[in-house]
Amino acid sequence: MKALRWGLIKQQMLVTLRVRALHVLSLGLFVIQPAVFTAVGMLLSHAAGNAMPDLVYTVIGGGIMGLWSGLVFSSTYDITGDRYYGTLELIVGSPTSLTTIEAIRTLINVLTGLFSLGLAFVAALAIFGYSLQGVNFWGAGISLLLLLFSMWCIGVFLANFLAWSRLSGSFVDFLEMPIAFLCGFMYPIRVLPGWLQTLSGVIPIRWALQAMNESLLGNRDLPFLLTHWAMAVGISLVFLAITGWLQARVHDSIRLSGELSSI
Amino acid sequence: MIKYLLQSLRLYLYQAWLSYHGRYSITSPFGYISSKLGFPFFLMLFFIFMGKFVGYTNPLYIVIGNVLLIPAAGSMSGVTNAIGDERSWGTLSYVLGSPAPRLPIFMGRSLFYILDGFVTAVLGFAIAAGIFHLDMATINFGMLLLCIFLLAITSSGLGFLFGSISLISRDGWIILNTFLSALYILVGVNFPVGSLPSALQTIAFGLPLTRGIMAARLVLAGAGWNAIRPLLAGEVLVGAIYILVGYLCFRLIEKRSLTSGTLDAI
Repeated sequence: MKALRWGLIKQQMLVTLRVRALHVLSLGLFVIQPAVFTAVGMLLSHAAGNAMPDLVYTVIGGGIMGLWSGLVFSSTYDITGDRYYGTLELIVGSPTSLTTIEAIRTLINVLTGLFSLGLAFVAALAIFGYSLQGVNFWGAGISLLLLLFSMWCIGVFLANFLAWSRLSGSFVDFLEMPIAFLCGFMYPIRVLPGWLQTLSGVIPIRWALQAMNESLLGNRDLPFLLTHWAMAVGISLVFLAITGWLQARVHDSIRLSGELSSI
Repeated sequence: MIKYLLQSLRLYLYQAWLSYHGRYSITSPFGYISSKLGFPFFLMLFFIFMGKFVGYTNPLYIVIGNVLLIPAAGSMSGVTNAIGDERSWGTLSYVLGSPAPRLPIFMGRSLFYILDGFVTAVLGFAIAAGIFHLDMATINFGMLLLCIFLLAITSSGLGFLFGSISLISRDGWIILNTFLSALYILVGVNFPVGSLPSALQTIAFGLPLTRGIMAARLVLAGAGWNAIRPLLAGEVLVGAIYILVGYLCFRLIEKRSLTSGTLDAI
């Protein structure tokens, strides 16, 4: 059983890496688009009369944008690609659940997006002289792990909708910016109006990201970090539970009704 | 001659209808509205809060710029996807194998996207005026509509260029998306082109949209026809060059792929 699972994981990893993650055009998603967002932030900061942009939110935040956009587009492409090439039927018909396969693929997509975040860190350090002095390393490290976990949970959750209908691709693409906007990818959450801050509380990414940014800015307030980590883990687990519940219904809907290839 | 022109016109209008119907007939109202207004709206909010955080005190500049980008983005992605979808559904070979003239076919593909982008931007302005209290009292609406319509037309040339890429690559939309994101910097959407480094300013003025957006901003500030005329003339010229280059590029790639038999190879 273990060998079978590892074989499945290895195979899915290879497929995802070859088809999408290591595709030369993924540079657009993981490098150019985040760089553009960072440049917009820097130019806005310059236009506002600041001598230096905020490195955590404007530069490293660009990497978070790359991580998220990469996840959304790669995950969307995975399913629409399977639908287009006629392999989605084979996956849904196989004894391994679609959620298991999507869980592995989403994990690879999230880990691939780390390249974007890593590049943003390197740019902040090497180009803009970001100082690591005062950074709460353990806080930032734990928060980063929870951020990846939150993104993975959201990615697996959205994959159900993508399998459900070919029209859902536009819905998932549509979520790219609202999540970035609500979670404060490139600005602190406090600049949002109060009601939007409350609304963003249902997204686990927001809690993990806020904890990571605060840790990078040197926050060592343990109760603050623990609260944010607990919220990130708790809400992520809720998303996972809903995913499990949805999966049975999506599978039933598309397999029993034979409507996988319909609209 | 007249018969040929009428035939071309019929083909042009039919292709326009077919292109639009093929793209949106399966879409739900939610899918349509979210794809038209949802992304630009949230992107605009994202930039506004980015600006608020760094102390940029002119959110209306961002609002106007992002609304003006709607017709351009719609027109560009519409034309690119019209060609890319033809390839995806396996019908491109039939279209290119037919003796029908290419110009009305592929220009026709862009017509509805131009109209759609225009209507969406007008709707976007109405929404922005309501939410962000955009003062429309002193605006010459005729000139504003002209600027928006021109932006939709001139950007279709870029659509043809990226559509040509769709002939040789299945990932034309990724390249287009990456390019579209570069427009947030280059064409004066979020901040004036004058605040860019000089090399980027040169690139900006070599692109369609830059002058058109500047003209629309002037109209919104209450300027008259004389103030925007040179900008609109420049926009028409640059846009026409891109449409011509896009069309030639399309024909060249089509010819090469027919000669080498590589149309659907990649």
